[in-house]
Amino acid sequence: MVKFQDDFYADVRIEDRSRTTISYKAGIPEEMKTRVERRAFLRVYDGKMWYYASVTDLAHLQKTLDGLYAAATPNAQILDDPIVRRFECNKDSVMCFTDCSVRDISSKDKQELLLSYLPLLSEDTCVTLPQGTYLDRNSVFHFQSSLGADIVYDYQTCGLSFSCSMTEGEKKFSGHWQKGATHFEELKGLEEEIRASITEQAAFMRNSVPVTPGKYPVVLSPEAAGVFAHESFGHKSESDFMLSDKSMRDEWQLGKTVGSPILSIAECGSLPGCGYVPYDDEGTRARKNYLIKNGTLAGRLHNAQTAAVLDEAPTGNARAIDCTFEPIVRMTTTYIEGGDMDFDQLIAPIQKGYFIKTIRHGSGMSTFTIAPHLAYEIVDGKLGRPVQISVLTGSVFETLGLIDGLTRDVHLLSFVTGGCGKMEQMNLPVGFGGPYVRVSSTNVQ
Amino acid sequence: MEKEFLTNTHYSVTLNVTDGKIDSFREQEETTGTVRVYENGCIGVAGCLGSPDEKALTEKATEALSLGIPYPCMPDGALEQEIIHDEEIIPVAKLIPTMQDFLDRLNEACPRFAFSNKISLNYKRKEYHNSLGRHLTSSGRNVDIQLLAQNRGSGNLFDTGFSYNGNHFDADALLSEFKKEYDAFYAPADFTPGRYPVVMEASSLFGTFLQQFVAEMYVSGASLLSGRLGQKAFSDRLTLRNDMNPETNAGAYFFDDEGCVTSDFRPTLIDKGTLTGLLTTKKSADTFKLPNLGTAASTYDGVPCLGFNRFYVEPTAPTLMALVPGKAVYVVMASGGDTTPDGHFASPVQMSYLMENGKLIGRLPDLNISGNFYDLLGKDYIGATCDDPLPGSMLCAVTMDLTK
Repeated sequence: MVKFQDDFYADVRIEDRSRTTISYKAGIPEEMKTRVERRAFLRVYDGKMWYYASVTDLAHLQKTLDGLYAAATPNAQILDDPIVRRFECNKDSVMCFTDCSVRDISSKDKQELLLSYLPLLSEDTCVTLPQGTYLDRNSVFHFQSSLGADIVYDYQTCGLSFSCSMTEGEKKFSGHWQKGATHFEELKGLEEEIRASITEQAAFMRNSVPVTPGKYPVVLSPEAAGVFAHESFGHKSESDFMLSDKSMRDEWQLGKTVGSPILSIAECGSLPGCGYVPYDDEGTRARKNYLIKNGTLAGRLHNAQTAAVLDEAPTGNARAIDCTFEPIVRMTTTYIEGGDMDFDQLIAPIQKGYFIKTIRHGSGMSTFTIAPHLAYEIVDGKLGRPVQISVLTGSVFETLGLIDGLTRDVHLLSFVTGGCGKMEQMNLPVGFGGPYVRVSSTNVQ
Repeated sequence: MEKEFLTNTHYSVTLNVTDGKIDSFREQEETTGTVRVYENGCIGVAGCLGSPDEKALTEKATEALSLGIPYPCMPDGALEQEIIHDEEIIPVAKLIPTMQDFLDRLNEACPRFAFSNKISLNYKRKEYHNSLGRHLTSSGRNVDIQLLAQNRGSGNLFDTGFSYNGNHFDADALLSEFKKEYDAFYAPADFTPGRYPVVMEASSLFGTFLQQFVAEMYVSGASLLSGRLGQKAFSDRLTLRNDMNPETNAGAYFFDDEGCVTSDFRPTLIDKGTLTGLLTTKKSADTFKLPNLGTAASTYDGVPCLGFNRFYVEPTAPTLMALVPGKAVYVVMASGGDTTPDGHFASPVQMSYLMENGKLIGRLPDLNISGNFYDLLGKDYIGATCDDPLPGSMLCAVTMDLTK
């Protein structure tokens, strides 16, 4: 494909991406398109600096690569560089979606599927402006490096996203529902799930009451728990934040207690879903990595550079949102492992608290935030009235230590809109999830 | 059948910074072309990566009319306008040494901070023309410095950030302002919970409420603004606009993706407390019988959709000191907040300073801000100032409840 030069490390990543978008608003088509793009991202490393370029015309691949070589400085010892020594040299082809590619499903079938669900949004009189979108993506990646790596794999997601405004008198609510999948067939037969969700959200709009701000025990759904794990600890496990400040390496020594002894958070790129990354964008094979195991710091996420600096092994977490950016350390699928309770046992001891069922967004630095979408009171161990909560917030480490109950079952979720944002690279598809999680005290506003 | 053509070119060079040192150089160049055709109330769109072949794209767009996507609008009529800001800021060949010198001085001035993230130099050009004789061209360059600062040993991903986006680079001015924040960072301050003037970047405060201005939300009744168009609902000190003016928003285009040009390139949402506009495309304006504000965006192969540049708030004070004399809280980072359906806004604040007479006094602990949407834009709205402390900054002040 390209000719690599000696005395440098270099790699080339090509993505052939097909993406379909079909959307309707108030029953009228808004968008129907399938975009097919081929882009490539090239990297050259000389032991001191990285030189990157992205191209949209693959005919210019060699010329662009040669331009990067010209900017870099030859280094006869490049193969001894600690970063280069950490690059894996895999040769593999992992094609999971050849026989079920969304590229082979007609636009008409996708449109009809979407149209079949749209009337469900309007069954309640409070709904105005129903909107529905069908989205899919099929990508074929080809990675080659100057070390001899040669990997081809495919990736696929598809899904449905619905939203609407709900109003009745002075009451207002923004309703939404979405499902992500990897196979088109999984998107069929969802009528009852969608209908139940819209009915619940309409009832929430009509009956929810403002919360009285304060500190309460809360129970997080798998969706809320997954976002909490991702935001509160997943980002802290991305080792690139340890590159600038060397004192961080003492602060974040493996084995340190960072949470409740019942808490384990894992990360894995080989799980099916939108966080599926069998090989990362440096050609490293995916593996399961524990971030927290039984409350102690068990690992962190790396690309080759951070692994070299911290003298650890790459973990398969070098990812870019597409071939216009360089890979940086990112999550794949992050989840809290299950415990030993069922949901009723989890809420039974709570006299006054809240259950966070779905969320609008979350964030996490020294403090985490979760903005609930649907939330309910827990009174005397039972679910009660729907409540309006702006935001849950608290110290990340304090909250990790306050987790005191987990259900057995773990649910992993995929979404087709949105995604994880980090610095300039927004909306990276990631998976997340967990069991139902009880936190003994959180600031609720 | 009417037609419109859009060509976008973007060239950027981006440096990655790790611990105050540049460790990578990235070059990106992308040109896209779009053709839209309008016939019998429908739209057909075709787009491409790379230099567009208008004839071939027009044929594809014409074929796309058969998809039957309603778009009961036409391109605007004849107008020739060009705003070019192509003055070089820093030659690309000198970007690394110039920025490494700047970083070296910053590292020396702020030794307890470890700096990371990106510095980029951008060139953007957009050209629009249509079959009715409209021809618009807008181009500009900007330098974008987005540095994250870790307080060494804090254990945090980052503790604060220094940012600047503009069409010139004055290292001395930036270093002077960044140093003021650095000095305040290491002076601990505290506050008693209560109501305080809170100073924030306009985009941070009003960005939280952006959805409320979307025409569809407004018409559906789900917006907190629903039913208030044309009404004086807020403080008469508040004039809120979408800043598409390259003079105040470096790198912005003066027209939207449907070729709409508005007075002084700042479409107005709130004028002296009166809600006068909503975020629309031509289609949503036509559908809901609203004035078109001219805030359409688009992907290169997509039907026009809603876009937004950044908030411009009409200044009410010449300086920060004049805006908030006495004690105030200057919020640098507040992420994760939200507004309930009845208008209660609350947000944690990750980084803020106590300010007195426009000067940063010391760093406050983590805190929470809250208020009511209608009051924040109404009786609690204090005003705004621009270009202080840095050129291009747009700060507004609002009285809010602060808790620990």
